[in-house]
Amino acid sequence: MFINWALQEINLKIVFYGPGMSGKTTNLEYIHSKLDPSLAGELVSLKTKEDRTIFFDFMQIEVGRIKGKKPKFNLYTVPGQVYYASSRKVILNGVDGLVFVADSQPHRMEANIETLLDLENNLKQDGHTLEEFPWVIQYNKRDLPGVESVETLQKKLNFFSVPYFEAVAVRGDGVFNTLKAIINNVVQHVQNQL
Amino acid sequence: MVQTKKLKDGSRQIILNGNQYEGITKILAELATKTKASAILFADMSGQLISQRGNTENMNTTVLSALAASDFAATAEMAKLVGEEAKFKLLFHEGEKRNVYLSNVGDYFFLVVVFDVNVTLGLIRIYTKKAIQSLQEILEEESTGGESHKDMIDSDFSSLLGDALDESFK
Repeated sequence: MFINWALQEINLKIVFYGPGMSGKTTNLEYIHSKLDPSLAGELVSLKTKEDRTIFFDFMQIEVGRIKGKKPKFNLYTVPGQVYYASSRKVILNGVDGLVFVADSQPHRMEANIETLLDLENNLKQDGHTLEEFPWVIQYNKRDLPGVESVETLQKKLNFFSVPYFEAVAVRGDGVFNTLKAIINNVVQHVQNQL
Repeated sequence: MVQTKKLKDGSRQIILNGNQYEGITKILAELATKTKASAILFADMSGQLISQRGNTENMNTTVLSALAASDFAATAEMAKLVGEEAKFKLLFHEGEKRNVYLSNVGDYFFLVVVFDVNVTLGLIRIYTKKAIQSLQEILEEESTGGESHKDMIDSDFSSLLGDALDESFK
């Protein structure tokens, strides 16, 4: 979190984390396509030729002034593929809140769990734990046939009972609910630390 | 000292007061004049732009800061991999028309200087080094206190923010 009193700005960093192809970039693309251009900055994607995130996506969003203050949210995604582990760690620098985008398909369960462990590991190096840190889970791709039940996903992934959302990010279902929840969560968390 | 707090959960919070912000902006303006740099940015290591000077109208400096911070973080990882124990202090990107010079300011901040190729690197290095010293002095100055995140985020704020989000996400 960065507060600039001269400009009455408060900056928060929110990172979308999750296994490869779970829909992190799609979340940002949807937010970018739907928000009023006066509120959303440019969406920058560092991708490979194959359209896979190689480093991160970035976008800044605003919601106008609140009690004279100007909150700004910096949204980032991480590359999901296993071998970009160092890049993921780098993006977490100074993070205030996390969205874990899980893939609901049964064959991706292992990747979900591995990535969650990778996340916990990376957070630890910065002195955070998943138990205390503000984060939410998004169960994405709910429209696909044969997806795991929410109950199963909850049991296998949500061991700290954080808020969770079902989503179909390509259609935008659940995307704004997830974003709103993590922003609220971060703000609450900051208050609780007083 | 600029307020850099570690919260209970380990997260970092940086609070800059009005005097510090003005001081920083003044140093950037001086550096821009002396070096004839096209643009100068001061940002924190998480990628948040703090202040800028120069001809930045047609430059997306928000994104530039985010990319520069990642550039720094990525090279810090590279340093570890190649057996460099300290972090690399500066990064230099050479182009055909423009160069970019990045240098850290303490552990939490960095400076980005964008300049035309006809400006010599030596000149940039000398003045940037001086500017960094002045910036560090400002960052270490006693904070006047009183201004904290308590005054920025109260319970009213979160409910109003919720409304604003609903409005924006319609």
